[in-house]
Amino acid sequence: MPLLDRSEYYDLIRTTNWTPSYVSEDELYPEEMSGSRGIPMEKWESFDEPYKVAYGEYVATQREKDSGAYSVKAALERANFVDTADPGWISILKAHYGAISVPEYAAMTGEARMARFSKAPGNRNMAVFGMMDETRHGQIQLYFAHEHTRRSRQWDWAHKAMHANEWGALAARHFFDDMMMTRDAIAVSLMLTFAFETGFTNMQFLGLAADAAEAGDHTFANLISSVQTDEARHAQQGGPNLKILIENGRKDEAQKMIDVAFWRSWKLFSVLTGPMMDYYTPLESREQSFKEFMQEWIIGQFERQITDLGLDTPWYWDEFIRALDETHHGMHLGVWYWRPTVWWNPAAGVTPEDRDWLEEKYPGWNDTWGNLWDVIIENLVEGRPELTGPATLPMICNMSNIPIVGTPSNGWNVKDYPLVHNGRLYHFGSEPDRWVFEQDPERYQGHMNFIDRFLAGWIQPMDLMGGLQYMGLAPGEIGDDAHNYEWVSRYTPDVAGTAAG
Amino acid sequence: MTDAPEVLKPLRTWSHLATRRRRPTEYEVVSTNLHYRQDNPDSPWELDPDIHMNKWYRRYCNDSPLRHDDWDAFRDPDQLVYRTYNILQDGQETYVRSVLEQFSDREHDSGLSVEWAGILASHHTPARYLFHTLQMASAYLSQMAPASTISNCSTFEAADSLRWLTHTAYRTVELSRAFPDLGIGTEERRRWESDDAWQGFRELMEKALVAWDWAESFTAVNLVAKPAVEGAVLSGLSRAGRQEDDLVLSLLTESQLRDSERHRRWSTALVEMALENEGNRDVLNGWLAKWAPMGEAAVDAYCANLPDGGALAASAKEAMSSFHTGLGLAAG
Ligand SMILES: [Fe+2]
Ligand SMILES: [Fe+2]
Repeated sequence: MPLLDRSEYYDLIRTTNWTPSYVSEDELYPEEMSGSRGIPMEKWESFDEPYKVAYGEYVATQREKDSGAYSVKAALERANFVDTADPGWISILKAHYGAISVPEYAAMTGEARMARFSKAPGNRNMAVFGMMDETRHGQIQLYFAHEHTRRSRQWDWAHKAMHANEWGALAARHFFDDMMMTRDAIAVSLMLTFAFETGFTNMQFLGLAADAAEAGDHTFANLISSVQTDEARHAQQGGPNLKILIENGRKDEAQKMIDVAFWRSWKLFSVLTGPMMDYYTPLESREQSFKEFMQEWIIGQFERQITDLGLDTPWYWDEFIRALDETHHGMHLGVWYWRPTVWWNPAAGVTPEDRDWLEEKYPGWNDTWGNLWDVIIENLVEGRPELTGPATLPMICNMSNIPIVGTPSNGWNVKDYPLVHNGRLYHFGSEPDRWVFEQDPERYQGHMNFIDRFLAGWIQPMDLMGGLQYMGLAPGEIGDDAHNYEWVSRYTPDVAGTAAG
Repeated sequence: MTDAPEVLKPLRTWSHLATRRRRPTEYEVVSTNLHYRQDNPDSPWELDPDIHMNKWYRRYCNDSPLRHDDWDAFRDPDQLVYRTYNILQDGQETYVRSVLEQFSDREHDSGLSVEWAGILASHHTPARYLFHTLQMASAYLSQMAPASTISNCSTFEAADSLRWLTHTAYRTVELSRAFPDLGIGTEERRRWESDDAWQGFRELMEKALVAWDWAESFTAVNLVAKPAVEGAVLSGLSRAGRQEDDLVLSLLTESQLRDSERHRRWSTALVEMALENEGNRDVLNGWLAKWAPMGEAAVDAYCANLPDGGALAASAKEAMSSFHTGLGLAAG
């Protein structure tokens, strides 16, 4: 007799719901942790994960994946790619590892929330593999980043960022804590696995992997596409729960959770992934523009998935599509301008060739963003670098915790979306950001964003040095232009003009 | 320029590990100080400080009566990381597959007596519910422990419980085919919910699952429930099975007990670390006094109708209490 096929015993593995009697069902599954929303226990038993895996297969497959990723790294270590790569690419690696490694590990807790508190037995089992996957993602990315600590102190931020009050790290924590750390099991499955992982991690891990392969960074390309194979599996926990919610008359609640999570994910990506893809990646290695990646992965695939499940596209869909031409350009300009406040060196990405590419991908770029860069370039060419760095504080959104931006110059539409709640004035970067707050003010009302902290006197002295100190950034870690301003020479008259004549 | 701030130099490792003389191991590089929620005791999560989940973590993690100044100093004695876990367990699963395949080829199950098959139906196949409660309990500890190095041990433990549950489901199908009239594969839930043999364990686990304080949960599960389960449901039953030539059960159990030995090693290390703070001894003893009697009752109920059950129960309880004494704790 051969071994049993997985399908012969799989259903028993996930037949584990029982009726408790020594404690009540509500004690065993507190609503605030469990989130069953009044749907009875047996309804959750219909949870059917599309991607099935049993323990033995899991450890075998994962062992192989790790052996692949670690051996590619070992084989390429001598090639010293990082020492010869374009500095813009190195900035991507530093920003990515700092913003992603430790939050990936933290996602273990979101998975553990489902593994303990979901009333769907299949969800509880899949989430154990999810806990394992996220442990992997935290560990492997820390391991890959660690070998570079000897190169620059900025690499320390792969571990340090999430422990710091640096504004970008603070924004990432506010986002991840909202989506995956402080929600009930069912909300985690919708907001983290369905909205964020199905929609967005594809972008970061497959989109960026395409650029990495183009840039010759095979270690990183291999690493993040291997990570994504796990995401693709455990992201499938949200769909079945979504189905159960809809079948039991909770479509509106489900829709709201998706709408909140999707918008918040988009804002994080606009500051993290947008600049990486359209400005930091060397021009010749750009596979597609950020907007094109978004159109393919988000508008094409995610939109189809939500409508297939019977949900509507979020109410702000038109605004989202409009913002694809705008937000990340503003974020990039802001991050480059406030470059001492990040743990990587932002690449300006505005040589004449870069600008032709930007104009082609985003018609009108030169007439809007380009005009602001012209001012920066002029100051740099004329030897006034002090005018190209932070003198004032930006407005920061009380939801996304990132700067409030809009299109400048000839397309001017920069606007604050304020709200007075319980006597406190909040600022938001968009109507959807304000809407998210209004859905659940108690969740956000007592939080202080970076500017609130500054105005409340938490940051002393109240100047750039005090701010950097509060953020945990010291010389040796603080960001500066990735290419040490070499690109400015392209705009210096005697170099760019008729020097040869 | 003398008062210009010092420019930080690159380091050989993460800054938080750089002060030690020794080069950190791979385990330390990828496992230590990862719970950023421990940074701000007033608001573990970066949202309104008073939301439910902030209160939950303040109360059940930060304000636990078990106290230590530096839980992040905890180290897994096995220094297991994700990739070594999979190497280890893929090896174990290869072994399990070969056992299952060989004995199925030899038609092992049709050689078992009907009496013994009845005991497997009442005392073995329902264990998938019990193992699942262990899985849930470990998943809770993973999300609540004050240090990532503790959470990681617990995460591997959750996966191991799912492993045991998977073995049990597999055997349930095989046994149901060899003994179609014993309710195998259909009666487990009823037995778990109402057979006398399981009520002690069910009570213990339902209560342990709502012991929300992270350290009490650890005590109830890792110091009491798991030793009780391992003594009675793993070792005990497999010993009874040896009289019946149930080699599959004993070989499978053998492999599962390897996991549980590893769980004991880290649990022991955690207790040792906690006892660096003398005040913790009373806290742990207090919890043991509450939980150990439930563990013993669970063992007694489970063993009551097993052949030679009195002796099996006695040795399981003896093993549990010597585990506690070995830790320097007294269950009273
Ligand atoms: Fe992940
Ligand atoms: Fe994930």
